[in-house]
Amino acid sequence: MKPRVGFFDFTGCEGCQLTVLNLEDELLELLELVDLAEFREVLTGGGGPLEIAFVEGSIVGPAQEARLRAVRARSRFLVALGACADTAGVNALGASRDSGALVAAVYGPGAILPELGPPRPVAAVVPVDARVPGCPVDGAEFLHVLQALLVGRAPELPHYSVCVECKLAELPCTFDRGRVCLGPVTRAGCHARCLAGGDRCRGCRGLVDNPRSEPYYRILADHGLTEAEVVAEFGLFNLAGRGGR
Amino acid sequence: MTPSPSGLGTGEAPAPPWRPVTRPEIDAFLRALMAAYEVVGVQEAGGRLALARLEDPGRLRLAYPPRVHSPKKFLFPNWEKLFRFRLKGAVLLEPERAAAPRVLFGVHPCDLHAVRTLDDCLFEGQADSAYRAKRDATVLVGVDCEPDPHCFCTSLGTDRVADGFDLFLHRDGEGYLVQVGSPRGEALLGRYAPGVAARPEAPPLPLQPKRTSRALGFPPGELAPLLDQRYDHPIWTELGDACLGCGTCTLLCPTCYCFTVQDRLHLDLAGGERLRTWDSCQFDQFARLSGGAEARAGQADRQRHRFFRKYVYLWEKHRRAACVGCGRCSRECLAGIDPTEVLDRLHGLGPGAEAPVSAPPGAEYHPQLATLVSAAALTDRDQHLVLRLPEPAEVAPGAFLAVSVFGLGEAPFTAAAAARDGREVELVVRAAGNLSRALHRLRAGDTVGIRGPFGQGYPVAAMVGQDLLLVAGGLGIVALRALVRAVLARRLEFGRVQLLYGAATPEQFLFREELAAWHRGGQVDLRLIANETPAGGWWGPRGDVTRLLRDLDLAPERTVAAVSGPAAMYRFTNPLLLRLGVAPERLYLNLERHMKCGLGKCGKCRINDLCVCECGPVFPYSQVQHLREAIER
Repeated sequence: MKPRVGFFDFTGCEGCQLTVLNLEDELLELLELVDLAEFREVLTGGGGPLEIAFVEGSIVGPAQEARLRAVRARSRFLVALGACADTAGVNALGASRDSGALVAAVYGPGAILPELGPPRPVAAVVPVDARVPGCPVDGAEFLHVLQALLVGRAPELPHYSVCVECKLAELPCTFDRGRVCLGPVTRAGCHARCLAGGDRCRGCRGLVDNPRSEPYYRILADHGLTEAEVVAEFGLFNLAGRGGR
Repeated sequence: MTPSPSGLGTGEAPAPPWRPVTRPEIDAFLRALMAAYEVVGVQEAGGRLALARLEDPGRLRLAYPPRVHSPKKFLFPNWEKLFRFRLKGAVLLEPERAAAPRVLFGVHPCDLHAVRTLDDCLFEGQADSAYRAKRDATVLVGVDCEPDPHCFCTSLGTDRVADGFDLFLHRDGEGYLVQVGSPRGEALLGRYAPGVAARPEAPPLPLQPKRTSRALGFPPGELAPLLDQRYDHPIWTELGDACLGCGTCTLLCPTCYCFTVQDRLHLDLAGGERLRTWDSCQFDQFARLSGGAEARAGQADRQRHRFFRKYVYLWEKHRRAACVGCGRCSRECLAGIDPTEVLDRLHGLGPGAEAPVSAPPGAEYHPQLATLVSAAALTDRDQHLVLRLPEPAEVAPGAFLAVSVFGLGEAPFTAAAAARDGREVELVVRAAGNLSRALHRLRAGDTVGIRGPFGQGYPVAAMVGQDLLLVAGGLGIVALRALVRAVLARRLEFGRVQLLYGAATPEQFLFREELAAWHRGGQVDLRLIANETPAGGWWGPRGDVTRLLRDLDLAPERTVAAVSGPAAMYRFTNPLLLRLGVAPERLYLNLERHMKCGLGKCGKCRINDLCVCECGPVFPYSQVQHLREAIER
């Protein structure tokens, strides 16, 4: 019997699940390997024990926590899929603002939403066996992690920074353009996609295991960045004290 | 005229020919080559330059800034399948497919040198077959370059290249001169650009050395011995603190080839590939051991390793620095780590060079600046100087310092007192020559050059518990004053201290008041003797210092004697002291000579085969009694 695999979405844009579904060249072969048991975006039904649960989105409020615990309870491996699940991602931005003002700004004055607390990464609620970082995830890396779990190997993420992939792609350094980039401290694995597209690295894959913060901050300061700007730059995906691991 | 392509292979080969070629002819050559080869060159894509497969000859850039990847990208690629395997059944080893024939068109001289370093490393021992396959199948066509502000090829002799290419293009006016570098290059021209190959030879260009704005301040031959002395230099910590660990320096380096090997499974999990990818000594995990410990845990260790690989380890192996001065590492380093700056600092040039742990070559001769704290006349020709040292130093009694006045030279001076708090040292300077007279003119706050302290002084620790008999003649008092000062600092640990001091005239006693005060305080038993008393007013004994030894009361078995004066004096004092029962190994002589370098090198202070500055100037008599030059002349 093929291992049963499920996909679960919590608070997020579902883009990571879409990335998986966009693996059109590999999907049929993938289905030879695993039994897609639960995937709300493409299937109805589900339930039952799972070999691997891929959890997308950050966890907000007691209802989501309870649902996540139930998924954890019936899964051998649980994988945080994407930045929202891995580090709380952009959702964590809300944690640093006044929730009443946020609700008013998004839903209009007078709107009332239940107070659910800050969005949290999956690992803050249940043990996580593996992570697929990024916003959205990299399809090849998702397959890599899935393969590793299926053959009983500990999935490994690149331990080096985005700079490596940026240099390998022969891209000009963002700092040369007078713009700040989180590439030097952000975990590689995205093939410097944003940089190839002309943007800077905004750190969606989280920090490397051993970010060289001191020299990095010095370089930021050399490029005229203030502390507030640095915090804002990091805050998009790496909100201090909330996301990260 | 048709030059013979076989000319290269016959004994005394003529110099390979140079021929004019135009850019349209180069384009035609490229087009013809593309039929048989993959042609790779620098071209613009998406607003940036990259070394990539060429589809359109017109897009090849022959003049380009050195900001692109090196030939390593194709000769030793980042992603290389070593073999494929199956998980079930017999493991299937698929050998490396024959490498596709390829022309790297437009390689800068530094990168051609870098290919040789890759050859050195990858062909050594068990040759890397994957590299060899690509290397053999790759034609290298060089092109001359314009250094940019990060290049320092001129320092490493890689700005020009004499061989190691098949063809080389030199810019010549509107066109080029193509230089043949190998029979294969000649054959390629003959086959794919017959019009050019048939053209009469042109005289070779008189190539001029290039100019780079960055350069090493010293010859590259000094690099390996220099760095060998700099393993513990504080600069490595500085680099480690600045480094982001991003590995850009090594990934872009045209000679770095360290790699890691990993298995990549096929999606069906039935098999996979073993892949080789570039790794970097700057990364975490590069030197991680199975227990999780990092063999090179700190970024400082990793940066040092990088520099040592480039300039020491591989140089010692292959006599070629594994750096070609292409500047890729510094050009792309966010932390601004620049090899020329690092190496110059290690050499003792440039800012921050003042604190090397071990001295750079030649620096043992570079004085540091000491400030004159005070100057006082001791006699009409002796000046007492107190100098503040730039760094604390332990100046043993009997040790000496080399003092410089720039423009006048340097001379050794015995310390008259061990340094107070390690920062001050006292000297006595007798006006004799230009240098000493210039030192007499110094005022407080002036600076002089200073090296040292040098030499072995008195073994104060070995004298503890003993009676001391100190015999000084003339300036010899200077070393003994330093000894007495050291003894007085721990006076209770010594027995009786007798100081016998002879001078030519009463006016020439040095530190007379200070010595008298010690005597009055009961710390030192002082006896003075003057040889002549032309001015009168001297109530003490007359004669030379040996007179004071005649009616001496001492217990030889617990007495250490130290005699300091002109060597001629020892001829008379030694027999007397030995007769008094002082053992030769307990009799210390100050055998100062002209200790010019202080380093045991210059030879000026040698006594027979003994080097005074290294082994002395204070010696036990037992060590020098056999040396004819010590006392007898």
